[in-house]
Amino acid sequence: MNVPTLLLLGAVLAYPVIYAGYLSFHRVGLAQLRRGEFAFSGWDNYSRVLEDPLFWTALKNTLIFTAVTVTSEIVLAVAIALLINQTSVWTSRVTRFLILLPYAVPPIANGLIWAFMYSFQFGFLNRLLFATGLVHDPVNWSGNPDTALYAVAVPYVWRTLPFAIILVHAALQGIPRELYEQAAIDGANAWHRFRRITMPMLRQIIAIILILRTAFAFAVFEEILAITQGGPGDATWVAAWYSYKITFAPPNNFGMGSASAYILALMIGAIALVYMRFIYRRVTL
Amino acid sequence: MTNDLSAKWELSRRSVLGGLGAIGASLMASGAFAQPAGPWATPPKTKVDRLNFVVWTYGDIYTQIAKRFEADWGVPVDSTISSFNDHPTKLTTMFAAGEKIDVSQSSPFSFPNFVSQGLVEPLDDMPGAADYAKDFTTFTKQVATVNGKLMGLPYFAAVWVWNYNAEMLEKLKIDKPFTSYDEFTEHCVKAKKDGAARYPVLWVAGVGLEQLPGTWYQMTWNKGGTFFDKQGNHMLGAGSIARETLKWWANTFEKGLDISDPESLKVQFTTSAKAFGAGKNLYRGPNHHYGLNVCNDPAQSPMAGKIKVMDSPGDGKTIADAHVYFITTANRNKEWAWKLLQYLGGKTKDGNYTQATSLAKDAMLGSGYTSVMNSDAVKTGWAPWGDVPTLLKIWDKSTYIGEVCSSVYQPWHFPWTDQMNIEVQKCLTGQITADACCDNLIKGIADAKRKV
Repeated sequence: MNVPTLLLLGAVLAYPVIYAGYLSFHRVGLAQLRRGEFAFSGWDNYSRVLEDPLFWTALKNTLIFTAVTVTSEIVLAVAIALLINQTSVWTSRVTRFLILLPYAVPPIANGLIWAFMYSFQFGFLNRLLFATGLVHDPVNWSGNPDTALYAVAVPYVWRTLPFAIILVHAALQGIPRELYEQAAIDGANAWHRFRRITMPMLRQIIAIILILRTAFAFAVFEEILAITQGGPGDATWVAAWYSYKITFAPPNNFGMGSASAYILALMIGAIALVYMRFIYRRVTL
Repeated sequence: MTNDLSAKWELSRRSVLGGLGAIGASLMASGAFAQPAGPWATPPKTKVDRLNFVVWTYGDIYTQIAKRFEADWGVPVDSTISSFNDHPTKLTTMFAAGEKIDVSQSSPFSFPNFVSQGLVEPLDDMPGAADYAKDFTTFTKQVATVNGKLMGLPYFAAVWVWNYNAEMLEKLKIDKPFTSYDEFTEHCVKAKKDGAARYPVLWVAGVGLEQLPGTWYQMTWNKGGTFFDKQGNHMLGAGSIARETLKWWANTFEKGLDISDPESLKVQFTTSAKAFGAGKNLYRGPNHHYGLNVCNDPAQSPMAGKIKVMDSPGDGKTIADAHVYFITTANRNKEWAWKLLQYLGGKTKDGNYTQATSLAKDAMLGSGYTSVMNSDAVKTGWAPWGDVPTLLKIWDKSTYIGEVCSSVYQPWHFPWTDQMNIEVQKCLTGQITADACCDNLIKGIADAKRKV
């Protein structure tokens, strides 16, 4: 049974990954890709990527974006999962359903919706803040280099949060109720129960969320495309946007684009290994 | 042109569809341009089962063209249509994957790249090609002819113009729009001081190949400068007109006079026209002339009829560009691809410039053909949206963008433009000075060349 699975995985996953790796060591433009004839270029594509200051800016932005979004997702997911886990409250059932809605919105549509929300003079967000008297001048959310990256992070978290909530909620339901009952008998208050029972029991799932969401946040693309296209300036250039521009905008340097994607993939792999080594193993032992 | 132009088109496509048929029929009847004996009416000797084109979205003109082509020649046409921004990606990935592509289109910025990468078939030997070339406007020739070879037929052409809000100008008791950059500043400062506009000027400075860069190119050219000299050396050094123009431009933003709308850094051509139509700014520009088609459309703008076109300051020098259709080297049959290409960028079987005429009449787009530009399609077609004599006068004073920034002919222009978008936006938002911006761009030329 393993052989067909292996073959399928090889065809669907391994081939494009290996092929991209092959391209990253060759000089590949459009014409070469069509002809299938590539000149070997050694590490040239990698060195050109690593020498490009824009790549490092994109990487820095990616790290900030990942740290902000993954932290926010975990904190919010735990908080919201705890709330919707209150089975005695009937509204939690409605909330449980509603919480899934953002996950059903296609990423690019999500980006466009938020682009309208952020509009400087005509956006809903500024209108709301005006109406409530919180601001007197419109805020340039996605057009200000100091706020643009965070302006992209908000819709990203909004879209991906349900996934984390579902996982945490499922884990919460697996915690035996007896533990809480015994703790209550022993006089533990809500905070102590959360700290001593809930959090330790959630550590595994949080570690999984940390690994998965970090990998996905590193590859953020759609919200960038829809809201800022990397701007203003280079404030929202992230690693996946860099690879996309290098590869698919003329002069279509597929070799260099593949190299940059490989560097990104290696970084995600390295971070995942660190997580596995220092977090996941520790919480599963 | 951007994909937001296609959004604008959605609103008026009904009229275009009607226009396509009506114009074709009326011109055929009048025989205004009809030359049915020409090569466009002769069937190719070879046969094909079907043809296809890969284009960016523009209402459903392509569906109509495909239907008409099939009706005229009995060959079905498949279309692959994506957004403007996604088009180069779609085209290049299809090409790289070995798919058949008969006809496609390009912005003037991508075109030299497509040619140099072997994507484009020369057209010189095609029947009637020389006649088309003779009818090209000056800057269409500069785009469609690469290294002396005819490589494409025109889709549309545009010139960069300024717009002003006539109602606001009148309220400010200013008798005429600015004729110098000092006057421009004076008007904007007054508009802000009098409370007529919080941000008197809306620029088109969103990220793109023509948007933010186009605005800088236009003002630099208008002030007498260029970005590269004839030998290809940059003209961005200390004291250069491009650098001084950028200093002046940056000073209109928040860290300076604070007269520029912050939305400027996000808007493209049509989105800026829609925003300007809200009536909150005094001036908009300089950018594609057909934005008037949005600003002065009652269905899209509360300011319809009050937005006027004006000449650029000084001697009125401005820039222009043209987009093209071409046959790809991945075509099924060059004879038939040429036939299809003419339906998009040339004459239909009846000898009319059907599409060019419709686009001029219904979407205010300029044509790459002199005969269409001189026709009633432009003179009467543009009239509902703008002052045609002023527009045509501006047209006559325009120069192709490639003369102002000759790197558009180079494969490294794309990565360099990416950097230009980044550095100039940083400059306009006060993160770096204009001097630092230009120094970075000078250094960036070598970096961009390395990316090719």
